[in-house]
Amino acid sequence: MSGSIRLRLLRWVIPPVLLMNLLAGALAYMLAPPPLREVVLRTLVLLEIVFALGCVGLVWFSVSNGLRPLSRLRSELNAREGDDLAPIAAAEVPYELEPVVSAFNGLLAKVGEGAQARQDFLANVAHQLRTPLAGLKTQLEWLGARHTEPDTAKSVGLMLSATERMIRQTNQLLALARAEPHHFEKTRLEPLALDALVADAVQSFVDQARLKNIDIGFDLAPATVVGDRFLLRDLIDNLIDNAIRYTPPHGAVTVSVRPKLLIVEDNGPGIPLARREQVFNRYVRLDDKTHGSGLGLAIVRDIAVVHGARLTISDPPDGSGALFTVKFS
Amino acid sequence: MHILVVEDDAVLADGLSRVLGGHGMAVEVVGNGTQADLLLQRAVTAEVVVLDIGLPGMDGFEVVRRLRARGSAVPVLLLTARDAIEDRVRGLEQGADDYLVKPFATAELVARVKALARRNTPKPAGLALGDLSLDLAAKRARVGDKVIELSVREWAVLEYLLQHAARVVSKQQIIDAILPWGDDLTLNAVEVYISRLRLKIADAGVAIRTIRGFGYVLELAT
Repeated sequence: MSGSIRLRLLRWVIPPVLLMNLLAGALAYMLAPPPLREVVLRTLVLLEIVFALGCVGLVWFSVSNGLRPLSRLRSELNAREGDDLAPIAAAEVPYELEPVVSAFNGLLAKVGEGAQARQDFLANVAHQLRTPLAGLKTQLEWLGARHTEPDTAKSVGLMLSATERMIRQTNQLLALARAEPHHFEKTRLEPLALDALVADAVQSFVDQARLKNIDIGFDLAPATVVGDRFLLRDLIDNLIDNAIRYTPPHGAVTVSVRPKLLIVEDNGPGIPLARREQVFNRYVRLDDKTHGSGLGLAIVRDIAVVHGARLTISDPPDGSGALFTVKFS
Repeated sequence: MHILVVEDDAVLADGLSRVLGGHGMAVEVVGNGTQADLLLQRAVTAEVVVLDIGLPGMDGFEVVRRLRARGSAVPVLLLTARDAIEDRVRGLEQGADDYLVKPFATAELVARVKALARRNTPKPAGLALGDLSLDLAAKRARVGDKVIELSVREWAVLEYLLQHAARVVSKQQIIDAILPWGDDLTLNAVEVYISRLRLKIADAGVAIRTIRGFGYVLELAT
């Protein structure tokens, strides 16, 4: 059943036409008076050639024309994001294509339900993990606060840092499930003070920066944006967490808020131009030695997208490091 | 201080009772919502209730709703495994005073429990960190045994920092806190008070760390 539609049509159209013409030509040749027979024959052959070429052209043209809606559909589908599972608008395709489009939409719906179930499952598991993780952390912190001998203290410290990593990844899985475009609820949007959202989270960033000996600074001007409070908090947390994580000890991270802008600058190793698009993909990490799931910047991107904000990476004004800018519209 | 912990996860409940017990609190643990409700009906001896939301029997929302319906004002700190806005709002609407999302740092939990307990008890007579101590009644600051001289505003800034020891406070928070003493105060003025305080408490084993562009932390010197 495969192959070209055009060739198949030609195979069915050309032989009968040729056969009919040959029969008609033979008849005309026999009926014509003998002195004219040669002229008739030449004319008929010429006509035959023109006619055959015309047929091929016509078939080629009509098939191409008929296939145009299909190629438009193809370029629309190619332009989609990987997680855009919205149905194809059936009103915009020709009548003949409707069964195909509705079958395709059925498949999209099934894939969408699968993705939704996966996200719900993920969120549910992450929630379930929080209580045992809280128990583990509380017990370990209690143990760590007692003056144990160095070997034990070291072991407790290691267990605690492993627990912290599990907690961080659990929270990231939740944030990722929350930031999914089809989970996004427009009803939750409200005008928010971006500077206050950052100020509310300062304590945890300062604690985290101190552990790594990083000088963290702020430059917060009043700024109002329309958004989802919890998602924006996830965006801020992950962007700053990422900067602290990838900046070497004794480096500096600066968080600035300007009208419609959130800027996080670090003087770490920076991100090569060629990889700047890539870092926003899920599971991508530039440096395998740094702990992390590679989800942080994907979460930032998802949240920026649902807020209609633009996320860019550039070089800081004074050279080394990375400068992340979120520009709200 | 008597604390009632309502938590069904045995490991977490045991951890909470160890941690809070380590801070000199008497902890009673209940693992079931219905039981907690009965206990709180009989007599509320607890000064603070630490209450999980997802409980067998009766959920935490219902426990706190009934508690408030009976007119009890005992402070309630909710523990939640979900951080959805609905849960937070609902908990506070039912009459909880504060909430913490699991998993939390134990230092954070202890600080919140103490803050809730403080609401119902009179102001402490003094504050101290390292060798620095403030006698709030006599308005006298000491480094070890030595009394140090502070202006009214320097005192106010230091008292605020000491009340929030180990926490980041913004310059604006400092201004807001000492405004009764000065109606017009710039961010630069705060910097001046801080640098004077740094000289005066230099030998107290504490440090006022600057958080660039934001504010300060008063902490034990390292």
